[in-house]
This record gives sequence, C-alpha cells and structure tokens, in this order.
Amino acid sequence: MNTKVVSELVKIVGEEYVSTRVDVLLTYSETASMAKDPVTPGAVARPGSAEEVSQILQLCNKNKILVTPRSGGSSLQGEAIPKPDGLVVDLLRIKGITLHKELRSVTVGSGITFGELDKFLNQHDLWVPVAPESALICSVAGNVAVNGAGPGSSAYGCIAEMVLGVEVVLPNGEIIQTGSEANPNAPGPFLRYAFGPDLTGLFIGSLGSLGIITKVSLKTYKRMHQFHYETYGFDTAEQSEKFLIEVKNNDVLPMFASVYEGPVLNFFMDMVGEEYGIPEHEWPHRTVSMTIGRLREDRMKSDAKKAKEICEQLGGHVIGISELPQGEWEGRFWTFVRTCYIHGWHWRTLYHHQTPTNSHRSVEEITAAMDEHGFLGHTAGFLSGHSTMNMYPHFYFDPLDKEEDHMIRAAHDELAITLYKTGAVPFKLAEYWKGRMEGMEDYMKLLSAIKETLDPNGILNPGVLGGI
Amino acid sequence: MTEIDLDDLMENLAQCRRCGICRDAVYEDMGFDGICPVWKNTAGFETSFMRGKLMIAIALLEGRLEKTSDNTEALYACSLCGNCTEICAAEFDPKESLELVRAVLSDIPNEVRDTLAERILTTNNPYVTDKKGKRDWVAELGFEPPTKADTLYYFGCTAGMKLPETAKAAARLLKAAGIEFAVLEDEPCCGSVMIRTGRLQDAEENAKKVLESIQESGAKTVLVSCAGCLKTLRKDYPEKFNLSMPKIVHFVEYFLELVKSGKIKLKPLGKNVKITYHDPCHMGRELGIYEEPRDLLKAIPGVELVEMETNRRAAMCCGAGGGLRSYDPELSKKIAADRVREAEETGAEIIANACPFCEQNLESGAKLIDSSIRVADIVDLIVDLIE
Repeated sequence: MNTKVVSELVKIVGEEYVSTRVDVLLTYSETASMAKDPVTPGAVARPGSAEEVSQILQLCNKNKILVTPRSGGSSLQGEAIPKPDGLVVDLLRIKGITLHKELRSVTVGSGITFGELDKFLNQHDLWVPVAPESALICSVAGNVAVNGAGPGSSAYGCIAEMVLGVEVVLPNGEIIQTGSEANPNAPGPFLRYAFGPDLTGLFIGSLGSLGIITKVSLKTYKRMHQFHYETYGFDTAEQSEKFLIEVKNNDVLPMFASVYEGPVLNFFMDMVGEEYGIPEHEWPHRTVSMTIGRLREDRMKSDAKKAKEICEQLGGHVIGISELPQGEWEGRFWTFVRTCYIHGWHWRTLYHHQTPTNSHRSVEEITAAMDEHGFLGHTAGFLSGHSTMNMYPHFYFDPLDKEEDHMIRAAHDELAITLYKTGAVPFKLAEYWKGRMEGMEDYMKLLSAIKETLDPNGILNPGVLGGI
Repeated sequence: MTEIDLDDLMENLAQCRRCGICRDAVYEDMGFDGICPVWKNTAGFETSFMRGKLMIAIALLEGRLEKTSDNTEALYACSLCGNCTEICAAEFDPKESLELVRAVLSDIPNEVRDTLAERILTTNNPYVTDKKGKRDWVAELGFEPPTKADTLYYFGCTAGMKLPETAKAAARLLKAAGIEFAVLEDEPCCGSVMIRTGRLQDAEENAKKVLESIQESGAKTVLVSCAGCLKTLRKDYPEKFNLSMPKIVHFVEYFLELVKSGKIKLKPLGKNVKITYHDPCHMGRELGIYEEPRDLLKAIPGVELVEMETNRRAAMCCGAGGGLRSYDPELSKKIAADRVREAEETGAEIIANACPFCEQNLESGAKLIDSSIRVADIVDLIVDLIE
C-alpha cells in the first residue's frame, strides 16, 4: 500500500494500530470461511472509535483504497476476505456496553461479542435471547452485518428482530445513527421504525458493503429460567414440518427447535453423543429436538403439554430423550462450534431459508447432489422465525485434495441454483448467489443503485453482497 | 527422542479451521473470561493469538512465508499457557502444536532462545553465565542436607537463584516434617524452556543429564516446588524422551498428604486471612492439579480461600511461560499485572501460588501497577505454621 496512505492511517489510529508487516497481512488474508481462497491486503488498521473509522473511510475514498471491515473473523461465506492491496479495518477495539434498563435495551460497540454481552446482561437477570452459534467469537455488530440466527431464533427470529438501531459510518465517512436515537433528544434506543423507512434494516445483512456498523442497540428481555427439553419422533418429513407450524400456531414458545433426518442425527451422535451424554437410540425418519422456554413455569408446562398433544395428533411420538435439546440449549455458545469442528473436515456451507413445509426439498436436493458427486456432508435446519427454517448444509472437503476441492466448488454452485429454484431464500446475500437468482434482476438493480448512491467510488467491501 | 512427524504435525495444524474462539471468548458457563493474554495485552492484531500464529506456522512450513526471524516473532510471542487448547472445539492441541512448530523451525535464528539454551547447557541455569549462586541458599539453612537420600528436593533454577527464600522454606519445611532429603551438589536445569522454545535435541541431552544426577542421588522420590520442573520431569521426560523417571511429586501434593494423614498439623496463619490461588499453567491445565493446592490452603486455620474470576482450567496465565518472559519481558509483566488486578478484585491480601516462576512474574506485575497485594508461594506460607 502507498506509504503516504499508511502514514495517514498512522496519524488517525496511532502507529501501534496500523500494520503492513507481511506476517500480519497473512493472518488477515483469511477468515473462518474455509472455502474461500486467501487474499492478502495491503494494510490493517485497528481504529478505536467511530470517528477514527470515519477518518479512515474519508482517506480511503480520497485514495480509492478498497476497504474490508472485519471483527471476529468468524464469518463463513467470505464476507471479510480482503481485496488485493486493500485495507482491512479491524473493529474489535471499539468496545463499550450501555444498558438502558427503562428502555429495555442495550447498546454495544462493534468489538463486543455475544459472550461478553450475555455475561454483562446476566448480572441484571436480562438477556438478548438470540445468539449465533459463533457467539463466543463474532461481534454483535458483525453478526448484525450478516444478519445471523441461532439458538433463540426459533422463538424470536434472526438477530435483525432484536435490533433497535445502529450507528453506522457511511463509505464517505459520515456517521449516521438510525432508529429513535437519530433524535439527539431521545432518551435512547426504544424504537427502530422511526423517522420513515427502516434505515436500520438497510445495513442489517449488508455484509459491510453499505456502511461500517460501529454500535448496535438491541432489545433486552428478562432472562428465562424455565425450560422444557424434549425430542419428538416422526415417520415422515411432512409430519415434522407440520409439527413446527402447529407449534407456532398454538403459541408454544420454542427457543430452539431443530429438525434432523435419522442418518444425520446418527452422524452427529457418532461424533458427540457420548461426550454430551445422549443415550443411544434408533432415531426415527425425522426427529425434532426442541427447547421450550418461558418466564413462568405454568406457561412452560402448558406449552410442553400442548407440544406433546400436537405431536401425537400428527401421528408422531414423544421420544423422551431430553439430553439432546438440553445439550443444544445449555451449551449453545460452544456445542455447535464443537459439532462443526470435531470431525476434522473442512467444509463449504450454503446457508438459506425455507418454509418449514418446504424444508424437505432442501434435504432432497442436497442429498441428491451428495449422491451424484460423491461427497460427504449433511444438512439440517432449525426453526428461525415466524414461519422459517434456517438450513445449514455442510459439504466436506479435504483442502489438500485439489480434485475434491474443485468438485465441491462445482457442486456448491449447482446447488445454489437448484435450491433457489425450490424457493430457498438466502438471508445473507453471499457472493455465491451472484447470477444464480433468476427473476430477481430488478431487485438486484435496486440494490446496486443503493450501493452506488452510498458508495460511488465502490470502496467498501465491493462484490461481497451478491456480487454488488 | 521421539521424532516429530511432520505430516502428523501438518495434519494437526489443518485441524484449525480459523474459527477464532482462541482469541477472547467470554463464556460464563465454562468460566472463561477471555482466552489469550497476549492478544489482550498487545496491539491485538491477528498474529497475537493462536489462530494467527498457526496460520503463520503453516505458511512457514509450506514455504509460503520466508523463514526469517521477523516472520517467526509471533510464534514466540506466546506463553504456551494452553487456555486456547481448553476452549478449542477441534480435535487437536493448538498449544502443543505450536511448541512442536518451534522445534521444527529451530534453524531460524532466535537470539533469546539460543542464549537461554547455551546458558543451560554450559552453566546449568538459564539466568547467568556462571554456575555461582544457584546453591548459595543452602549455606543459609543452618543445616547441610546430604547429596544422597531416598527423597531429593529438586529446587529448580528460579527458587535457587531468584527466590532463595522459597528454596529455604521448602527445605525447612521438609526438616520440620522430619523428612530426610537430599539436595544435589550441582543441580542441572530441568530444561523446560528449551523444550518450550524448540531446542528439543539439546533438551533431551540435558534431560539425560538430569536423570543421571537424580539416579546418582539414589532418590526414589523427587520433590519439586516449581510447576515448570514438575511438568517437565513428570510428563515431558517420559513422553518426549522416553526416560523412565522416579516418582516426581510437587510440594503441595506431598504436604497435603502429610496434613491429611495427620502427620503434620498447621497453626493458624492469622484471622480471616483472604487468600486467592493462582493456577500455574504447567500444574493446572497440563497436569490437572487444581484441588490439591486449594485443599492445602484451606487446611490452614484462619484462611479464607477466595477464587479469582478465572480459575482452574480457565485461569488466565501469569505471562511467564513458554519463553515469553525472556522473549518479551515487558509484555510478560503486563500480562502478570492483569492477573494481579484479577486477584485484587477478590479482595484477597495474598496471591498464593505453587511455582516460583509464576511468583517472580506476578511480583513484577504487582510492581508494575503498584499493587500492595502479597505474592507468596504456598511453601512460604506454611513453613512457619507446622506445630
């Protein structure tokens, strides 16, 4: 990178927090996105405030330097892979947690992780009930930028549903506050849909391409302590899908409800069953592993009773193995990370959403692709909102086997097209959807126009948002 | 020596899929309040914590990064505390892998590493260039331990040369308990720092010398007061060098048994003395010795044991290990200061420990932040309490 630009960066953030060392750059060339090739940036800067981020973006605009925002580096779909000779802006130094108890909200800086936030809120017997599976690694702001989901989403939806406003630095360096806090006289974050269109939503899931989020305000809730853990067995996919719909229709509150195919569950159990003390079992065609949560015990018990009734009415049966959902829920900040990495494979993912009643289509297509191409992997999903399943297929590969790597890339590309045609909806518009969403040309045109308006020089994470 | 299987090492390194949980996971349920003390106490670039270190290691081993001293800096800026291994979700030991990488890349110049090794090989200690002083504390005991006995007190370089009061306390404790013990005339260094920093072949030669000295003393039991010596003699020598060692026991393990069996009784230390215990990485995470030191402290009348926020397997490191205190003393002390702050938050008057190397660094950390907390080895605490 141009030495003059580096000197300017040093003036903004201090010498300690800028690096062009070859070893440092190497470590920013990749993230947890295993399937992405490394790209070496020209420099890394670690600003300590939104004002410093603003100055950096002004400098980069002036010098046409491409910028990649990054915090935990845990994203899986290439969101924070830098551009050649570009600048990585590492946001982990921007800390701070402010509780607005009366407003039932909390504001966090872009360097705060879910683990830190949860520990802080726990002191007040509060929580943000939605957390991604990478809760100990990713920052809250980073997760908002990719619109993540995870345990808690079955009841409350993706992280977007928790957000009341963001402080965002636009590509031109302007610092904007959205939501009720846009009014400097407002007492704090209490209303997201304020002052017209949902500008907050513009930045959620924007993968850091429309602005750099430096603060997020989120809803807080009284922490639940009443949980019921149960597994429900079904002979058909349709029964399990109907079960999830009826659970939601009947106002049962599933904090986390996963649906597993028998063989996939057996695969998981082979890996972690013993470690988590889950008894051996001949799992049925479909298993729903569900944690019901309520503030009040009577409501929790009532929900558990209703869920059992729904299951049996649909021809399913209560399996009675509570250890699976209990392990998922109680260990939610670590268990899923463990399951993702215990097996030793590298993997590609293709996150997408389906309606519960259509989720079997994803399973069918992914299974067919695995059979056709001969690769290993799995897919499963969890209820992640009003009527949505978050599907998280993993396609395994050995990074040292170039032939296999090539084959998985091809299968992945094919599947993006196939799954889209089944009605799959990506909530993160990762780069691999580019050109594979027939019939959405006008939508993408609008998105491009927004990008061009906010970032005329195209400096901020270009290409990452569906190729824009 | 067990040869390092490079393919095996590369396979292990490939287990890191860069999730980044080794950076600063705060996970209340498992007791973690941050993971990497180096990340926390430096500018915080990716090179500072294990994910980045392993990326650099792989690049160096694959030849994608030039093998220079500058490019290996990050590999040595690590205390090998193993907190990353505790939280890691993959099936490998990142800390152990990094230690092996250092050994594989030991041909890349590193003045600190090589100076430490040369001193140990020529003068039996990593601190000074002559042998003088390591055994001076014996002259101040008031009695002369023999050089041969069933029980050997292997006092270690740090207690002998930096904290002789601890060495003296340990010897007096043994005498007070009626244990006949020997002290070597010319005790070789255990070589822990050579193993940690990658001078494995030299460490093996040194280990043989240590074993020979122990054998010459006729000892059936070797007592150590240093967690580093304990891990090196008990675990590394047999596992890395296939050496058959006699029984290696830490003072806290040994004296806890004596207290439990009623062979010794302890007088009160005072009234409601609040003590917190710092888990040395070599004793805790490496050997799983968490409760013995706590039980021994709790056995002292008048002591109230309070826990730091991070303790046992999730305890933050004092910053001294892995060669870091020599490689980057200022960073090492900053890490220690962090640990001292954590101890201060408990309201404790004393940070007890069971490792002179930790003690030395914690004292430096306390000095750095003008803390009035007392840093004390458990041995120092109980020496005057035997009835």
